[in-house]
Amino acid sequence: MRILKYKIIDSTNSLAKKIAKENEEKPWTIVLTEEQRAGYGRNKSSWYSPKGGLYFSIILPKGNIDDLQTLTILAAFIIARVLKENFNLEPLIKLPNDIYIGKKKVAGVLTETIVSSNVKSSIIGIGLNTNIKDFPKDLKNIACSLEIVLNKKVNNEKILKQIVNGLKQQLKSRSKL
Amino acid sequence: MKFKLKFKGREYNIEVSETEQGVKIKVNKKEFIFEEEPKEKSLSSVKSFPKKDFSPKTITAPISGVISEIFVKQGDRIKKGEKLILLSAMKMENEIVSDYDGKIKEILVKKNQKVKSNDTLLIIK
Repeated sequence: MRILKYKIIDSTNSLAKKIAKENEEKPWTIVLTEEQRAGYGRNKSSWYSPKGGLYFSIILPKGNIDDLQTLTILAAFIIARVLKENFNLEPLIKLPNDIYIGKKKVAGVLTETIVSSNVKSSIIGIGLNTNIKDFPKDLKNIACSLEIVLNKKVNNEKILKQIVNGLKQQLKSRSKL
Repeated sequence: MKFKLKFKGREYNIEVSETEQGVKIKVNKKEFIFEEEPKEKSLSSVKSFPKKDFSPKTITAPISGVISEIFVKQGDRIKKGEKLILLSAMKMENEIVSDYDGKIKEILVKKNQKVKSNDTLLIIK
């Protein structure tokens, strides 16, 4: 697993897109950061990304745009499964790309492609609120973290590997990806 | 076709005819056959010059979705690989980039407009 690790960057999706655009980076390269200055979700909504959370983007193998469509949902299912299997939680997937625990969002997925007459590159970004102790006032009622729910810290690296391996495994059978 | 040609005081009897080998030109008693090949060669060399394609190019939607951002305006000069439009689909965001260098001739969509797969979004010339 090739992981490009950073302390702080604007956004793992932005950087992964830039890397994928400028270099023929190997598929499944991961951009991982401890903190994001400008993490974002769908429609450029911001994603609160303090130190402690898990923020990463995966440069995907080139594929057909219709095949890529299912990836977001697939990733959401895998995240939910990882949370259930590791922590005995009952996550809820709000289609197509958010994962909730109770009524509060714990993770989000954003797939982005660069496309002209064919798909030039595609990346999938995941933000998972893991070891975050507290949220700002405006997010307190709508966001939660694993640390708050479980009352303990979790292993970010282990979760990252489980999610990436889960995605790889699911995509193995699909020759185009 | 027969004709006479006077050149520098000397008279030439010229006969031009078409044969299977090519065009035959008889000057007095000497015959010259001009095959078609040289002509074709010169034409083919002209054909091999790189052609610039000025025909308008259309940029179409790769999938159905909503136009969430338009990065260019009519008249803008753009380069291959430049961002044109952000198309948000239900499950992903698609940055549509240009396959061509050129100028934006027309933008056929507006922000927040719904589009279907293969709808024309803009024209580049």
